Amino acid sequence: MTSAMSNDDTSIAAAFDAWLADRCAPAVVRALEGGAPAEPWWRELEAAGWLDALVPEREGGAGLPLADVRALVEACGYHAVPLPVADTLVARATLARRGRERARGPLRLADLGTDVLDAEARVTWQAALTSALIAGAAGRVLELSVAHAQQRVQFGRPIGNFQAVQHQLAVMAEHVAAARIAAQLAFAARGDEPDAVLAAMAKSVAGEAASAVAAGGHAVHGAIGITAECDLQLYTRRLVAWRTEGGSPSHAARRVGDAWWSGRTDRAIDFMLARLSAAGL
Amino acid sequence: MSSVLDLLPLTRIPPEDEALRAPVRAFLDDALRVLPPEERARSWSGFDAAFSRALGARGFIGLTLPKEYGGAGRSAFARFVVVEELLRAGAPVAAHWIGDRQSAPQILRFGTRAQAERYVPAVCRGELVFCIGMSEPGAGSDLAAVRSRATRTPHGWRLDGQKVWTTNAHRAHLILALVRTSGDATSRHAGLSQFIVDLSLPGITVRPIRDLNGESHFNEVFFDGVELPEDALLGEEGAGWKQVTSELVSERSGPERIYASIVLFDEWLSWLRARGRAPGERERVLTGRVLSTMTVLRSLSAAVQGRIVAGGSPATEAALVKDLGTTLEQYIPDALADVIGEHPEEALPDALALALRHVAQIAPSFSLRGGTREVLRGMIARGLGLR
Repeated sequence: MTSAMSNDDTSIAAAFDAWLADRCAPAVVRALEGGAPAEPWWRELEAAGWLDALVPEREGGAGLPLADVRALVEACGYHAVPLPVADTLVARATLARRGRERARGPLRLADLGTDVLDAEARVTWQAALTSALIAGAAGRVLELSVAHAQQRVQFGRPIGNFQAVQHQLAVMAEHVAAARIAAQLAFAARGDEPDAVLAAMAKSVAGEAASAVAAGGHAVHGAIGITAECDLQLYTRRLVAWRTEGGSPSHAARRVGDAWWSGRTDRAIDFMLARLSAAGL
Repeated sequence: MSSVLDLLPLTRIPPEDEALRAPVRAFLDDALRVLPPEERARSWSGFDAAFSRALGARGFIGLTLPKEYGGAGRSAFARFVVVEELLRAGAPVAAHWIGDRQSAPQILRFGTRAQAERYVPAVCRGELVFCIGMSEPGAGSDLAAVRSRATRTPHGWRLDGQKVWTTNAHRAHLILALVRTSGDATSRHAGLSQFIVDLSLPGITVRPIRDLNGESHFNEVFFDGVELPEDALLGEEGAGWKQVTSELVSERSGPERIYASIVLFDEWLSWLRARGRAPGERERVLTGRVLSTMTVLRSLSAAVQGRIVAGGSPATEAALVKDLGTTLEQYIPDALADVIGEHPEEALPDALALALRHVAQIAPSFSLRGGTREVLRGMIARGLGLR
């Protein structure tokens, strides 16, 4: 199953999505989480060249613009990739841009020295990455939940026929739409790195979407969604974790509030337009 | 996969449309200099016929309507920018709002050339005030249950029935009414038609309804044997449901579904600045949360405009943005009141206190007007393939 997002995205993102659909199916996610050796999987990923998508072309990468990376990260969320692929994409590009050696294997942003990635930049990258991961996983939870509601019968009809269930799914769809546009905002900056304020805005909204969509997905699935056997947990566990990884929604919101306070614009729309316009929007 | 799950892409407002912002803002700064914040906080409920005419004279009404009918012949993005500025300023837009947003486009889409020539240029000049004739006592969310009826006469139609919750009917010249022309309430979507009704005709009574703030902006409208000319019919007899569905997309898809509380929020931000001390932890978080949500929803709304500009009719997406948008509009007064009330000993500026009181009381209406949350969520569920 490929994600619904591929239709609008770059061909590289669509190819990556297809690759993950094939090589990172739920059974693979479970095996890797269960302790199966990750090296063969990672070697294949490396060999396919995905990990250097963001590395500049002169350093041997694909030199994908920042905005296009969002779809790759979202695909990682959609497929519940159980290894730090998104972190590695950014870490390798950052190392390459600083003229540093790119070590093989999974990298975590937290492991890069502050001489490579300072604390501020790391918070911003984590906000952007977790926003896109949430957008992907939330989209998957919505798809699984709609499918479940159409097939699970109670009181003699599919539970998706009941208005209470329909409305829960509608609210989830709203959060998915918000998270997906938030993720695009997080990656909308003109340069090589996300804009600190747009990334924080994205995390504030996507983080709230993460709780709402995870809760909605479990409500629609009922008891089966709590089991290890049901795929739902592969995505909702991550939504819960990504919501606070690198800072909670309130942490992100406070950063936005601080940016407003330390800036010169008073009015909300002017503050917003200044950030959008700096990103070329 | 259903269209609801398709990516709504970040959409840039074209520079030529963004260029409208500065002149509109300059005009509004001047025109609204003396309007107090508690009045501006009424957002698009404020009514000022002279203001609408002045706006029309400057070409800021009818931006999306064809030039031959007095419009500017521009895209939905041009209107998006102007509407955003009107809402930011808290301009009293009610006199032209409905006509510009939905009645005139509806007449152009379904009406005759003569009807377009008669009504649309006057809407663009800000002179002709329309109101919406949808809800009835027995037809709220269930719009297809309308009972008002037009029957054929030798010279046109005779209209009997009642509309309700009709905003500004007491000041409008015309009502665009959805009524039954055949069958009965059980015929549902069949047998409905739209009429352009002159509110000055004999047999029409408009009775104001007082709201919980003690104000009267909406009304009951009674039709008692009102003789309508043949050309009061808009579009095709019996096609009213299809037509009104299209009108509702116009009604729901604009940026006005995000910004109803923006003047209040801006007043609060100004106070934070003026207060002379750094905002506290909760104030910073609240500021950031509102700014973040607003930026994300504005981006969604711009994406919906993009779909409209591309020729689509994004009903489900518009429903989704409206439900999210009104949630933000209601969150702002609720959260502000709580954070402000953390310090009951602190005096608020009168303007902020009045604006907060007004918006907090009227906020429940934000998610009722233009279609309730429940109706919108039903539409989204249909988009998800559940209905």
